[in-house]
Amino acid sequence: MPVLLIAPFASFLLALSSVRTRRSASATAMFGTVVSLLLTLLVAWGLARRSTPYVASYQYINMSVAFSGPTNFQTFAINLVFHVDHLTVIALLVIEVCVIAAIGWHQLMGRSEPGAARFHALITLLLFACTGVLVSWDLAELFGFWALAGALTYLLLTHRWGFDEAASRARIALALPFLTDLSLLCGIAWLYARYGTQNLATLLPILHTNPGWTVRSIVVGSVLLFVGVAGRLALWPLSGWLSMTSATAPTAASAIAQSAWPVVGMVVLYRLTPIFAASNRQTLQAFLVACAVSAVIAGATSLVGNGPRRVITLAGSGAVAVAAAVVINGAYHQPATFAIAGVAAVLAVAPARAAALLAASTIANAMRTDDMAEMGEAWRRMRASSGALLASAIVIGLAASGALAFGVSSRSRLGIALGEAVLLLAVGAIRVFVGASFGILRRRRAFDPDRVREPEGARGFPYWLAVAGAALLVASFLTGWLNFLDGQKHPAAGPLAIALWAAVAIVGFAACALVFTRDKDGALALSAFGGGFLGRYAAGGLGVVDRFLVEPTTDAGHRVSDWIAAGDGALGRFATASGQLALAAGRGPALPIVVGLAIVLAVVFALVAPGIAR
Amino acid sequence: MTLSAITQQSVGAGIFSSAFLLSILIWLPVIVAVGIAIMPNPRGRYDTLIKQIAFFANLVTMFILFIAYNQFENFLPTMQYEEKIAWLPAIGVTYHLGVDGPGIAMLMLSGLVGIASVLASIGIRERVRTYFALLLLAQASVNGAIVARDMFVLILFWGASIVPIALLILGWGGPRRVGAAWRLVGYWGLGTAALAVGVLALYAVTGGRTFDMDTLLGTAQPPRIQIGVSIAMIVAGATRLPLFPLHGWLRDALAEAPVGVAVVVSGAASRLGAFLLLRVVIGAEPAAAHLLSPVLAALAALTVGYAALAAIRSVDIRHAGAYLAMVPGGITLLGLAAISPLGIAGSVLSLFTGGLAAALIAGVCATVSERAQTRSLLLLSGLAPRMPNIAWIFLLAAFALLGVPVFASFASEVMTFFGAFKTQPIGAFAVAIGLAITAVALAALLGRVLFGSPNSDAPGVSDAALGETWYLGILAGALLWIGLFPGGPKIPGTDTPLFDPGFVSQIAAGVSDITSNYTLPASAAPAAQ
Repeated sequence: MPVLLIAPFASFLLALSSVRTRRSASATAMFGTVVSLLLTLLVAWGLARRSTPYVASYQYINMSVAFSGPTNFQTFAINLVFHVDHLTVIALLVIEVCVIAAIGWHQLMGRSEPGAARFHALITLLLFACTGVLVSWDLAELFGFWALAGALTYLLLTHRWGFDEAASRARIALALPFLTDLSLLCGIAWLYARYGTQNLATLLPILHTNPGWTVRSIVVGSVLLFVGVAGRLALWPLSGWLSMTSATAPTAASAIAQSAWPVVGMVVLYRLTPIFAASNRQTLQAFLVACAVSAVIAGATSLVGNGPRRVITLAGSGAVAVAAAVVINGAYHQPATFAIAGVAAVLAVAPARAAALLAASTIANAMRTDDMAEMGEAWRRMRASSGALLASAIVIGLAASGALAFGVSSRSRLGIALGEAVLLLAVGAIRVFVGASFGILRRRRAFDPDRVREPEGARGFPYWLAVAGAALLVASFLTGWLNFLDGQKHPAAGPLAIALWAAVAIVGFAACALVFTRDKDGALALSAFGGGFLGRYAAGGLGVVDRFLVEPTTDAGHRVSDWIAAGDGALGRFATASGQLALAAGRGPALPIVVGLAIVLAVVFALVAPGIAR
Repeated sequence: MTLSAITQQSVGAGIFSSAFLLSILIWLPVIVAVGIAIMPNPRGRYDTLIKQIAFFANLVTMFILFIAYNQFENFLPTMQYEEKIAWLPAIGVTYHLGVDGPGIAMLMLSGLVGIASVLASIGIRERVRTYFALLLLAQASVNGAIVARDMFVLILFWGASIVPIALLILGWGGPRRVGAAWRLVGYWGLGTAALAVGVLALYAVTGGRTFDMDTLLGTAQPPRIQIGVSIAMIVAGATRLPLFPLHGWLRDALAEAPVGVAVVVSGAASRLGAFLLLRVVIGAEPAAAHLLSPVLAALAALTVGYAALAAIRSVDIRHAGAYLAMVPGGITLLGLAAISPLGIAGSVLSLFTGGLAAALIAGVCATVSERAQTRSLLLLSGLAPRMPNIAWIFLLAAFALLGVPVFASFASEVMTFFGAFKTQPIGAFAVAIGLAITAVALAALLGRVLFGSPNSDAPGVSDAALGETWYLGILAGALLWIGLFPGGPKIPGTDTPLFDPGFVSQIAAGVSDITSNYTLPASAAPAAQ
């Protein structure tokens, strides 16, 4: 089982130490990922013959810190606890498939990207880190792999060295997720401080039995953990690090980030739900509201702006938010067994999101524009990529519906809100396909539209990735699949519920298609206006924050530095002056000086003595 | 001083059976420094030889240290490699040296930083003999302050470290070296004075018979005395580490000092501040520690937050590096402020990792400024494609500072935060926010300096030379090694260490002794697992 981790790490070492050319770097990364895939299948085959997961534990840190006091706190240990169950292997398979497709696409479409050896080495190491997160059962260990994956994601998203826009946008890919990662660390630390353990196997049973436990402590821990996971799931408003880098980062990097992190984050969220469930209902309601708001706003913002990659990113974030709501809802309703439906939905959304990004990028590169208003005729000229876009949009829209069919009542307020979100994100996802595939391809400068075609080898990767997403979408509607994922029995979702929620997405698809059919230019002009409007207000808001919060704060720090330096200078001058005075006094007549000093001191003491005040 | 009262224990000296192991670590650099100072060097003919001598002196020191580290008995809470010679019996001064777990961590840090500083100084061309003599003296004084077990001797070594460092800045520093050197002398002098006041207070309270640390710190004192002494020690530690608001020397000192001196100051000399707080305030004044822990936590949060904010607004890359070098000190202090066993253990580990991380970030910023021939962040842009080696090390330094896993700073930060959340949750949150701001500062710095488009108005750049790569690599490599193998690499399938007994295991010795004052009563124990 440790080979699941060793394989991608070995591939990374190989890429780092021996590979120099672009082709060999790509081949090494592909080889390593394929080997990881095969090993994962092997482990999955072994698991199929067992009813219990594989568990292995290795010591990382073991330090004795006290000889007295509570036994839990006398020794601090972080163990590498590897826990591999059905959910782990399926999630890993999905990530590996996405990575393979991204590498394959990048082999052909990323020829002009700099630093191929560096790029592919980072991809293999990211795969290693994601594997580590999925197999971790110790929260400190999980955080270790999580933060490592975060650092590697930043390096991948800022891969294009030498470009101002890429560099400036990638800053948020470090700062924003790091903030939420710190929240995750604080949550783990908070729970450890109260329970003395960070191993899920020992922590979960004692949440309500540990002496001195309080609801407040679990609530605080839950909030910190949720915020930490939400950042990497890119739930609005924490989605900026993906949406802002979707156009400036290498497409393969963006595709991997947008497919791997939702899977990893959702699995972690699912594993943490017992902790959320142990808090109070108000906390869970707050989480549900946050997920619902995030889904609706992400879906709404995917309707404005004409950048196809940004739209796909936001629509995908909306779908992930809906799935997260289903998972949290599973904790809200006890006993509930449908939380896994949210995970199953994300397993379908991830490859579809990656496929959509790759296909959109193929089309954008061929048409040499990143504005849907200038795109067109992709269905005629680039059938495979356009088809992949269509399939991906359908998967993104319907996957969310499937999750809702299992776990959310359509008559509840939550159901209504999430239904709105599904409608919006379905529109957002499908409009990329409609906008790029139909209508006239407008000429730009000296561009010849007759030369627009998709590269021979690259067309297959987004297409097959979308097919994989579609297969997982179909599976997510099946009770047997959910039973396999978490090893529990689940009641089947009613056909009426499935039809209802699917209809919401289909209505969204149809509405978008209708609008674009009647007036594509008008629709895109409106979305461009909306995007510009939103962009101006976002920039204005950021400007306000910058002017009234960031600048005064940083300015205060800067001024303190200057004041301290000035104060030191003044002290130095005072010391110099006093020294000069002493020298002068040494040269002057002693008696008059002494008499003068005595008079001054006498006056001072007389003034400060208590008798004068009375 | 007579040799008649030599008492020595050779605990821990197995293969290497010298009774004066710690004295070798102090006086070998001094002897080499004196030798370098008096050897003739007409027109710089032997400059290269002098550099080699200094390098090999540090290498020998590190070799001895490594043996001492391997032989260290990690299950003993007492001092090891002790040396005790009566020196001034009239006032109770003994030449008393010894190390425990935290001490061995500091010594290893000093050894690594020493080698790195010599490699970083390979480019010195003027008055080479004097430079390396002073550098070795600085290293010796730091080692002496670490291993001193007599408070009088500690004050001597503590104060002695000021002179060579100030002279190095004054003689080989940048354009504003004079102000930087005097500022350093002023602040460190204030700290030394505070240390002396605290020590003398302890001396007076314990009867004025001895300066021995075991006696001074082992004698129970009334809470008022503890508080007074602790405040004096906090001032001494805060000026050295440094902590806000007694950090005024740091920016100019690290910005104007030669690279090797900046590495020594940020990596080893400054860590003495936290080491002093650990020894005296946390280790020996529990009542005062309990009372002052919120103050320490507040100082930690202020330090980290202020450093990050100041780094964001810096227009000089060396200033930014200097401010960022303050961040590990704040995290170390948070662990001390937690006054919980895990927090204190985390702060001990953080002494080592924080020193390396601070030295790394200060060193890489200095190296970038030298290689790019400018310090202005308005000119520095898009350097990564043209200096890939430095770019990667800069990234590693940034990640090490943030505590990204794989680096040893991750383990220390995890332990610190885990320990702090129980007793100082507000301080821990505040430091976490400060760390987030540090991430913003680093993101801005990296994005501007490394990843943007090249600036055509900037001077020409070149990648790191071999010596620069090596010294930065040593610092980063140590962080990676401890981060990957905190318990030491073991023979597969066994618990037998290969050649490294495990840094975390070695520093545990003595930590339990320190934390014994801060453990919760057993009745508050959670359910046993």
